[in-house]
Amino acid sequence: MSSADNKRTVIVGIFTFLAIVILVVGIFTLAGQQKRLIQTVTLTAIFDDVAGLRTGNNVWFSGVKVGTIKSINLYGDSQVEVVMNIEEKVQQFIRKNASARISSESFIGNKNIVIDGGTQSAAPVEDGDRIAAVSPLNTDDLMEKLQQNNENLVAITGDFKQLTSRLVKGEGTVGALLTDTTMAQDFRNMVDNLQRTSQSTVSASRSLSAFTNKLNSSDGLANQLVTDKEVFQQLKNSMTQLEEATASASEITENLRTATSQLNNSDGAVGVLLNDQQFARQLQSTMQNLETGTKKLDQNMEALQNNFLLRGFFRKQAKEQAKQQQNQPTQQTVQPKDSIEFKPSILRSN
Amino acid sequence: MDLDRNKPGAAPARRRYVTTRRLDRIFVELANVYRFNARFFKEMWFPPYEFKEIIKQCYEIGVRSLPLISLTGFIIGIVFTNQSRPSLADFGATSLLPALISVAIIRAIGPLVTALIAAGRVGSAIGAELGSMRVTEQIDAMEVSATNPFKFLVVSRVLASTLMIPALTMYTTLVSLLGGYLNVHQNELTSLSVFFYQVFDAITFLDIVASSVKSVIFGYTIGMVGCYKGYNSSKGTEGVGKAANSSVVTAMFLIFIEELLIMQVINAIRAF
Repeated sequence: MSSADNKRTVIVGIFTFLAIVILVVGIFTLAGQQKRLIQTVTLTAIFDDVAGLRTGNNVWFSGVKVGTIKSINLYGDSQVEVVMNIEEKVQQFIRKNASARISSESFIGNKNIVIDGGTQSAAPVEDGDRIAAVSPLNTDDLMEKLQQNNENLVAITGDFKQLTSRLVKGEGTVGALLTDTTMAQDFRNMVDNLQRTSQSTVSASRSLSAFTNKLNSSDGLANQLVTDKEVFQQLKNSMTQLEEATASASEITENLRTATSQLNNSDGAVGVLLNDQQFARQLQSTMQNLETGTKKLDQNMEALQNNFLLRGFFRKQAKEQAKQQQNQPTQQTVQPKDSIEFKPSILRSN
Repeated sequence: MDLDRNKPGAAPARRRYVTTRRLDRIFVELANVYRFNARFFKEMWFPPYEFKEIIKQCYEIGVRSLPLISLTGFIIGIVFTNQSRPSLADFGATSLLPALISVAIIRAIGPLVTALIAAGRVGSAIGAELGSMRVTEQIDAMEVSATNPFKFLVVSRVLASTLMIPALTMYTTLVSLLGGYLNVHQNELTSLSVFFYQVFDAITFLDIVASSVKSVIFGYTIGMVGCYKGYNSSKGTEGVGKAANSSVVTAMFLIFIEELLIMQVINAIRAF
């Protein structure tokens, strides 16, 4: 073989090799992407309607592609059994109480299966397990809802049309507001008043803000009440004393109540004095008798003073009294001297 | 009547056709095509094997066609992506461009464009080469020198074409996808990994197998048509040009017919 032939052969070999490499890389990339070269477990779900799902479509779990649809078989009367190949490494994350639903990769994209839910309390799925299936929202249902929405929209626009028509005609309060100039003026005045009120409110709130700022200042009463421990302690003591005073007052009130009740009771001496009318009349009569007796005694005493047997005694008594009155100024001049030597013990003994 | 025809001075006997002249010619042509194909499969299995000639033809068909086909594929990738964008943009779905390009290029455009360009370049070359050899009686000379011209000329070329067109299809597909990526990256700022993820996400093994099978059939068709037209070309310089021209036209026509039929079969398999 000449060198030219040899070179040509090598080039053809390289050319063919590179083409095969492209093919093999493509196949392996596709196989890897379709999870065909990894260990899988099989899960099944029974759907009423698979909405065009096809073998080879993807299975998603928490937004991650975890497998593909292995097969789709009719099951029972009119149900469909979907068999899914799930990566073995994600098996531990899918719980037995998880559910499968049919979704779409985009609005116009392929159908796929999304595995949702599952709680930590449930065990992980095992090979061959059947998980619950949630029926998909098909396009017909969607269109039906849209139709209902359309009808609602038509009703709303009809109502709105009526409303605007009445507004234009000046019917109702809002219509009158729009068309009646007097009412508009009143409304304008109301708005002016509201504006003034709001200005006053702003002013009041500013004042309130200033007041609260003062309250919050470090030397303010509120702040001291909140922060000064000494004041708080004093307040606490005051409250304790007030409490004690209240208790004492309560006790006094109780005593007073008892005393009053006793006073009201006619068995006691004061009670009789206060409540017994008969005793009051007797006492009144006694007092009248006593007054009469005193007057008569006074007359008797005057008569005794004028009696010649006792007149000497009374004159003697009058002389002694006069003598005592004469001695009294001398004692007064001496008293300051004595006061120097005044002792409480002497006074007490006297 | 037979006796009259053999008499001297009698009018030449009219040829009798099974159907009509034209239809008979078509059926005869089909029978010749069948015999030519059958001979190829017969000659292919038995020695001597013309490896050197096969390698030479592989080089001519595969390696020498690579620059032209790569450039064409790259441009087609860019143009197709650019032209598809407005349609998807109407739905706000330009993110689906890689998937669209993938399906279009791997399933159809890659094999088809490769086959058509190869039919133009390789088919015409084979038809012209074999036609000129027939005209210059080189093929007859090979027959008398105990060399099997069919094995040396036809089997080697058809095999080389059948092997190299799939290889060229791989290159074209890759280069077209790269062209598409370039355009998508320029406009949607899609990264290479995301682009190729979407490309492979949109296709299946059936697409790759179908593409490969198609390119093998296209390669066989190009080689076989070129060889048949050249090998059976009529004498004269006009015959060479006719052979080259009809090689290209017939190969392209057959490629489209085959594409249609294979697509139906693959869709039936996919649905199954």
